[in-house]
Amino acid sequence: MVVKERRTFLGVCLGALFAAGAGAIAYPVFRYLAPRHEAGNNSKVEIPESELTAGNAKYFEYQGKAAVLIRRNNGALVALSAVCTHLGCVVQWQKEKEEFLCPCHAGLFTADGTVISGPPPKPLEKLSFVVANGKVIIG
Amino acid sequence: MSLLKKIYGWIDVRIGAGELVEKELTGYLLPRNINVWYSMGSILLVIFSLQVVTGIMLLVYYVPDADKAFHSVTHIMNNVPFGWLIRLCHAVGSNMMVLILLFHMLSVLFMGSYKSPREMNWLSGFILFNLVLAVSLTGYLLPWSQLSFWATTVATNSVGAIPYVGEFLVEFLRGGKLVGPATLGRFFAMHVLIIPLTIAAVVGAHLFFLQRTGVSTPPFGLTDSRNRWQEDNYRYESHPGGIPFFPNYALQDMTSIAVYFAFFLGVVFFAPYIFFPADAFVPANPFQTPDHIKPEWYFLANYQTLKIFPSEFLGLAVQGAAMTFLALLPFIDRGVEKHPLKRPLFMVCAIGGILLYLALMIWGHYS
Repeated sequence: MVVKERRTFLGVCLGALFAAGAGAIAYPVFRYLAPRHEAGNNSKVEIPESELTAGNAKYFEYQGKAAVLIRRNNGALVALSAVCTHLGCVVQWQKEKEEFLCPCHAGLFTADGTVISGPPPKPLEKLSFVVANGKVIIG
Repeated sequence: MSLLKKIYGWIDVRIGAGELVEKELTGYLLPRNINVWYSMGSILLVIFSLQVVTGIMLLVYYVPDADKAFHSVTHIMNNVPFGWLIRLCHAVGSNMMVLILLFHMLSVLFMGSYKSPREMNWLSGFILFNLVLAVSLTGYLLPWSQLSFWATTVATNSVGAIPYVGEFLVEFLRGGKLVGPATLGRFFAMHVLIIPLTIAAVVGAHLFFLQRTGVSTPPFGLTDSRNRWQEDNYRYESHPGGIPFFPNYALQDMTSIAVYFAFFLGVVFFAPYIFFPADAFVPANPFQTPDHIKPEWYFLANYQTLKIFPSEFLGLAVQGAAMTFLALLPFIDRGVEKHPLKRPLFMVCAIGGILLYLALMIWGHYS
């Protein structure tokens, strides 16, 4: 009985040792391969106002995702996430119609991101911005 | 019946797993006087596997482009979480692989295990030794540091001493007149694919020969340590009444691997930079040769030999002759005695050779 208990105890100890060893290998491997989130990077994006003429769009990367800044024909500025809320394709600006079209499944959005038609379940995410010293500062 | 036993039973009735275990593990008998030196091969298999795994992981971030390679390696070392650990394991592991391979070869030499009928084991092992040196040399260039660049320049340049075709060979190796982006491309392909695949194939052949001929009997502790094999017909060298591979010798293998890891991780954590001179931390500059450029420790003897001889060709020819002699040793040494103390000529040559190798290495280091 004593022998059996000792064997069980040693078996458990050995198992724990192997588990600790496996953890010591798995953790660095996971951290090595895991995507890195660089805090603070891309938190604010500055775009010169002069780069945006009426009716045109400027695409940029914001917090690791595609975003778009447009100047409408009436002069108003709009900053939106350019990632379609359906399956993540990047929406394309239709200058003449002042609409966004997602080429993947024909999702259609207004210039302020509201869904007009197609499969997208939600409007495009709005991004906050300020205009100062001739620059549009997003974020 | 536990779940594991049920699964084992399910597999066993389908593929005869029990019979395989009996034949290859518990019923695979080894000589009773087997010693720790027989576990060097298992350690080498573990090292090679670890090199493959860490090498694949380095490929995730490494960029094989002359403009970006050095930066990608410093990025791995400084920015990627545990990148330093993966890279140091790979770099230190390559040195350890050469070291343990030398121990393996020395044990085979001293115990006379290279003798017939194991000529093919020796030859395949000798080819593996050269392939390991080649994979180390090609990997040395990849960080694209001053050390990598100039060590590769010197190493590839020595091939130029071969009469008639030398110059062409140097250019072919480099992919151009000088070491440059083209060299990086071909060394990268050789390091990550061609040589490792060849090593895996030759390891397979090496193990196949071992499996077919059987494990050699160590000459120690026997009254008669002569080689009894006669070249009449094939026979497997069995060891009736010997110790089973599993669990007995498998435990010795595990112990040796654990001791190796203690040493290896000791170097990785406490003294990794013994393998990195200062020039390893400076990006390659093709217009500035650093002072006192030296190859890795395992090429120091070759480097010094080339320096001793007035003609580069002569230096290369002497090394070629020594390597050919070593490769053909089982065909030259046909004596039946295996015990090293009963082979005085062998002992004089072997110890003399080792001392000469060490002396050249130390001379090369301090010259």
